[in-house]
Amino acid sequence: MKALAITAVLLSSLLAQAPQPVPYTYQGTVQAVQPKTASFDLVIGVGYALRVVHMRTSPVTQFASGGAQLSLTDLKPGDIVRAECRMTATGLVADRVEKVEPSDSKREPIQ
Amino acid sequence: MTRGRGPAGAVLLCVAVAACQKPVKPGDPVPGLTKDQRSSFDRGQVVFDSTFTPGSGLGPLFNADACGECHEDPVRGGVGDEVELHAAAFHPPLCDPLAAEGGFVFQLKSTPALKVALGIDSEPVPPNAARALRTTPVLFGRGLLDLVPDSVILSYADPDDRNSDGISGRPNHFVDGRPGRFGRKAFVPRLDEFNDGAFSAEQGITSPAVLTEETIGGKPIPAGVDPVPEPEIGQEALDQTNDFVRLLGAPTPLKASKDAKRGRKIFADIGCVGCHIPTLRTGDSPIAALRHKEVAGYTDLLLHDMGPELADMCLGEATPAEFRTEPLIGVRLKPNFLHDGRDTTLQEAIQSHGGEGAGARDRFLGLAPAERVALIAFLKTL
Repeated sequence: MKALAITAVLLSSLLAQAPQPVPYTYQGTVQAVQPKTASFDLVIGVGYALRVVHMRTSPVTQFASGGAQLSLTDLKPGDIVRAECRMTATGLVADRVEKVEPSDSKREPIQ
Repeated sequence: MTRGRGPAGAVLLCVAVAACQKPVKPGDPVPGLTKDQRSSFDRGQVVFDSTFTPGSGLGPLFNADACGECHEDPVRGGVGDEVELHAAAFHPPLCDPLAAEGGFVFQLKSTPALKVALGIDSEPVPPNAARALRTTPVLFGRGLLDLVPDSVILSYADPDDRNSDGISGRPNHFVDGRPGRFGRKAFVPRLDEFNDGAFSAEQGITSPAVLTEETIGGKPIPAGVDPVPEPEIGQEALDQTNDFVRLLGAPTPLKASKDAKRGRKIFADIGCVGCHIPTLRTGDSPIAALRHKEVAGYTDLLLHDMGPELADMCLGEATPAEFRTEPLIGVRLKPNFLHDGRDTTLQEAIQSHGGEGAGARDRFLGLAPAERVALIAFLKTL
């Protein structure tokens, strides 16, 4: 019992120290949607330096527009979205994707 | 005793007459900087003038090895004789800036290592892209234009031409949806973003704002071609560069001759001011020298359809024919005109106006020769 307790403490300590996926927030224009791979491409940038980020979605990814719920296939090229995502071993995975209207927003560095 | 002729009287006179202010020469900072701000301006100019090499991060694709290589005439912050290549693909109503293929700035130079690895002198442009040539923009007074509130710019927009004057300006928007104002297509929202992006797009220099190198026509950089670790410059260098550009003053217009004064009135009478709004007012800023200042920008910072003759590429929401009203700050210092430098005289540049500018152009062409000379004389004071 004592060994189990020590293992549990060690494990929880290790988990606490394990690197967590780095969260990112990107706001950009949808370039392409790939329903077959449950992914999409987003054009982001700073000034004239534009980049494309590829993002996968998962069954629990939330899609929204204002108060309404959406799905990946509701996104289309030209839409502006804010995507909260995290870097995993296989690339960026989106947790939440929200369609936004053109407006002021914070600038994020290109990763 | 003579009244008002002593030092106190002179001070009072100077306060009353703004003409006592020293004129801002091209390359001067905005007047009224604190000692610290002036020092930031000077430090920024050093970074602006720094020449990068492949060993310090240049490239592997680039257009210039220093900010000052292009912005050099007649002084730092001015123009240059370089012409660069932009390209995009227009699929109405959407514009593809070709970001996945290295666009929309396609660099014209490569480092020796990239040339050895891929055998290219410049970035390849996709075959079906619309190409556009772009001259170096003047940077004078851009810090003031940066501080004009969006609400002021949007107040000049008339996308449906409700007042039926043939002019229907509208804002462009950046990829993240914010209204833009910098660049020939009014694509970039803020001056510091324009500068930060230029380090990457023009010099191939990564920074804390742009941490990744651009691809080579959409393909990764070959291993070993650019071994300098990212970021290739730090936040301090970015901030200093931004300080220099932000604090560059708008040169004081030259004293107007009688002709030029008449030309100023003609400029308004024939409707040039429909887009080239003579003055804009800055909003709030922590820098007093930039706060709530009038700037003789002669622009509305909006997009206007300039007709099929000038049309080249789309960008953001701008169609190929839409361009931002070029600010006329320092126009007297430019050797060529319009976004691609096609015209070498101001008269030619006016004649090249089409679309929403056609009315003012036709009225200009209908002027008596002496009136045209007067209008050009006015422009040459700016």
